[in-house]
Formats: sequence, C-alpha cells, structure tokens
Amino acid sequence: MKLEIKNVTKSFKTKTAVNHFSMEIQSGECVALAGPNGAGKSTLIKLISDIMNPDQGEVLLNGKNISKMKKEIGYLPQYPNFFPWMTANETLNFMGRLSDIGKNDLERGIPWVLSKVGLSGEENSKVGTFSGGMKQRLGIAQALLHKPSLILMDEPVSSLDPIGRREVLNIINEIKEETTILLSTHILGDAEEICERFVIIKDGRKIEDATMIDLLKRNNKDKLYFEITEKVKDWVREIGAFDYVKNVDLTGNRVKVEVDNIGLNKDMLLKNALKNNVNLVQFKIDSESLEEIFLKLVVDK
Amino acid sequence: MNQFTVLVKKELIQLVREIKLVWFPLVFIFLGITQPVVSYYMPSILEMLGGGQGISIDPSMMAQSGGEVLASTLGSQFDQLGVMIIVISLMGIVQSDKASGMLAFILTRPVKVGSYLSGKVFSHYVFIAFSVAVGYIVSYIYTQFLFTGIPLEDLSIALLLYLLWVLFIVSFTTMISTIFNSQGVIALLSIAILLGCRVIVGLNPFLDTINPASMSTYGMELLVGGVLNSNVFWSILITLILSALAINISNTWISRKKYRID
Repeated sequence: MKLEIKNVTKSFKTKTAVNHFSMEIQSGECVALAGPNGAGKSTLIKLISDIMNPDQGEVLLNGKNISKMKKEIGYLPQYPNFFPWMTANETLNFMGRLSDIGKNDLERGIPWVLSKVGLSGEENSKVGTFSGGMKQRLGIAQALLHKPSLILMDEPVSSLDPIGRREVLNIINEIKEETTILLSTHILGDAEEICERFVIIKDGRKIEDATMIDLLKRNNKDKLYFEITEKVKDWVREIGAFDYVKNVDLTGNRVKVEVDNIGLNKDMLLKNALKNNVNLVQFKIDSESLEEIFLKLVVDK
Repeated sequence: MNQFTVLVKKELIQLVREIKLVWFPLVFIFLGITQPVVSYYMPSILEMLGGGQGISIDPSMMAQSGGEVLASTLGSQFDQLGVMIIVISLMGIVQSDKASGMLAFILTRPVKVGSYLSGKVFSHYVFIAFSVAVGYIVSYIYTQFLFTGIPLEDLSIALLLYLLWVLFIVSFTTMISTIFNSQGVIALLSIAILLGCRVIVGLNPFLDTINPASMSTYGMELLVGGVLNSNVFWSILITLILSALAINISNTWISRKKYRID
C-alpha cells in the first residue's frame, strides 16, 4: 500500500482550505495530521476519502485514483452519524453490504469487529441510544469491517470525554499494528501516544513533516528547571547576569533557565543556588514538550 | 446482493420503523373516503345547516355518476392535499442524508450515486404508489356503494395514468431535495411548482401535452366520459422523460459533489 497526495489544492468561496499539499504514506505507518482549528485538516481528510474533489492535484492509492479504490479505505467521520433507528448489528450489516462483503463473511466479521471495539453485547441496541464514545467505537468498527489497507480518521478523540478518549486511543493503538492509519487531531498529546510521524498543517500548507523523535531532537534546547518555595527575585536577577545564561523565565514559583551548555553549566547554577540559600523544591533538566514545539511552529511560522 | 438492493431494503425497514407504513396509506384512505361521502351527504348537510328555508338544492348533485365522484377524488383530494402530503413526506429524502453526513459517509463506500438515488426513488415510489392505489380503491368502493359503478378497464387505466403523475412528483421532489438544503425551501418550491403545473392544465393544448400534471386530468376525463385524450401517448412519453431527467440532474449534482458538506 502506498498513498500519494500530489500537489492537492481545494478552495472554497472565501478561502483556500488546502494549498498545494503533497505527501506520501507507506504501508504500516501511523501518521498524525496536526494543526490548529481551521487549518484544513478535515478538508484534506475529505479529499483523501473522496468526499470532495480537489480543484488541483490528485490523490493516488497504489498508483490509482482514490475514487477507484474505495474498498481499500476505511473512513471515520468527525461526528459519526448513523441512522438512529438501526441497531449496531444492522448498521454494520448495512455498511458492510455497501462494501460488497458477502453474507457469510459478515456473519463472522461483525462479532469479531464488535468485540475488537468493546461493543459485544450491544449488537441489538439502537444506535440512537449510544453515547458519543460508543458511536465513535461503532464508527471504528465500520471502518475496520471490510479490512481496508488505509484507515482515515477525522478527529477521532477530540469530542470525547477522558474515559471515551482513553478507550478509543487504546483501540487505535491496537489496530495500528495491522493497518496504515492517518488521523487528524488538534490535541498533540493524543497523537503523541499513537503515531510516530507528524505532519503539521497550517493555513492549508504543510509546515512540518517529521517523526516525533526528529521533531524533539531538532527543537531540543534543554532548559534547567527550578521550582522554589518563594520568589527570590534577587537570585533570579543575579543568574540572569551570568554570561552562560541565555534566558531566564520566571512564572510563579517556577524558574526556567536556558544555558549554553547543560553539562557544564548545570552544576554551576545549582551550586550558586545553594550558596544563595534558595529553597529548592525541584530541580531537573527539562526539554521542550511536543505541545510547545507545536505551538511554536504553528504560531511563529 | 448488490448495493441497490441493500439500499432499497434499508429504505423499506426505515418505513416500517418510522411507522410511515401505517399512517401514510391511512391518509390516502381518508382522502379517498372524503369525496364520495361528502358528495353523498352534501344535500342533507346543506339542508340541516340552512334550516330548510329558502334553499334550493340542485337535483343534479344527487345524480352524480360514480365516475364523476371518483374523478373528483383525484382532482380535489389527491391533487391538492394529497400532493402536499407526498411532498412533505419526501422533502428530506436526500436532504436529511446530506444534513446528517450520511450521504457523504455512504459514498465513501464503493457505492454508485445511481444506485443510491435509484434505491431511494424506487422504494419511495413503490410505497407511495401503493398508498395512492389503496386510497383510490377504497374511494371506489364507497363510490360504487353510494353512487354508481365504473367499468373496471377505465378504473385501472385512470389509476395507472395517475400513478405516472405520482412518479413525476416523486422524482421532481427528489431533485429539489438534492439541490436545496433547507426543508422549508424544498417543501415550498416543490409544492408551488407541482400545484402550479396542476393549475395550468387546460390553458393551452401544447402545454398540456408536455405537462406531467395532465396525466391526472386524462385519468379524470376517462372516468367521467369514458374517452381517452388523443395526446395521451405523447404525454406519457414526456412524463417519463421528465422524470428520468429529474433523477439524472440529481445524479449529476451528487456526482460532481456540489452538495454542501457541513
């Protein structure tokens, strides 16, 4: 399996949602499409799932246009909205039949997929009575049922409460072993747990495409982190004057210090703090979190 | 099993679950009963309300033939309230799937737009035609009981002609439901245009030939006078073509993804 997105552009009346976007996804990858709200994530997912046609460019799966490869795609909408009068079983039957799955395969496949998403025992409940998390899990079930080679998920956990989020993240973690996943999200913490590769999109353009490790390494400006009991402004001013200290950031009882060379300067600063009788609660080397890197990328560029 | 059958089956189950299977034919049975019963009792009703003084009742009221009464069932009941009820029951046929995102969702599956639309039109048409036919037959039973009988041949041909007009109503409403996004606009536009078609019948012979609403008046003429209009063949052809065109426009509209997505 290989998904190629080639120079895709999609404009609406007033704005360009996706702007000359290209990327490739190889079999077995798990890719998070991250970006702020309105960056074009959902539009891009819709272009890949052939719900919309691009104005320019094309989306190819295994070298063929995506509209001819629908059997190979499992799509989970942002708000999966099934027919409320159908039961879970009927919904999966309906979606499965539309994907040309035979009756016998469905009889085996539906219980399997329901147990996979933890909905066994709910097969005869009406979808209208389901909670948001259950609907999302049923959505994953229908996306898995026809064993597609690529699963597209539009904000799979954004609208769920912490319990629902945890359930769905665990399911995704499990299924990513078997298929290729592309999911969009604006919560990096979620993406960090499941995906190795990040594609960051802003104003319809790709501004970053890297693995998590790369991203962390590239932006790794180690900082020293002090937590103190009371504000010792004099001490903060004093260390700010040292020539190896590049930046001092004081928020509440937390002091973040950026230095030239962590290895050498760490001890010097610590000694200095002890000499000045600073009451330390915590001291650690703190690298930038993915969230901070994301914010910097999205806000600055 | 192909997608068309799956989609038809889904529509039929939905008719059962939403109890439309019960109330929709009942509406047409009620409409069918109204005309013969009201016509029959009209003189007594007028007499009672008018107090019997200074009112003269046209004796021809009593002398209506069964054909005339059944024709008014089509013309005064089905073509007015009936059309509105059909349109209102159909206004969400595609629109509700667009609004809920189910249309886009279904089309991420290897489903042809044609299968989706034909499944919709076929299942709803068969069901509405069945309801109209039931109402018509009930109306006939009352008519025949309270007035006179009608030759079986005229009875069935008139119904078939009327059902062609219903076919146009269904495909036209489906098209409007595909193109527009607000249920109010869909209902208003469909009702206005369809009733408009019905009103202009009789203004101009050429317009009548290309007007699908003429099917209804041809049926009525057959019931009243026992003769079939000579233009009926062309009208049937044009009604079928217009219905196919309406479905085709819907098909193109959805295939080109012109429908709004959130």
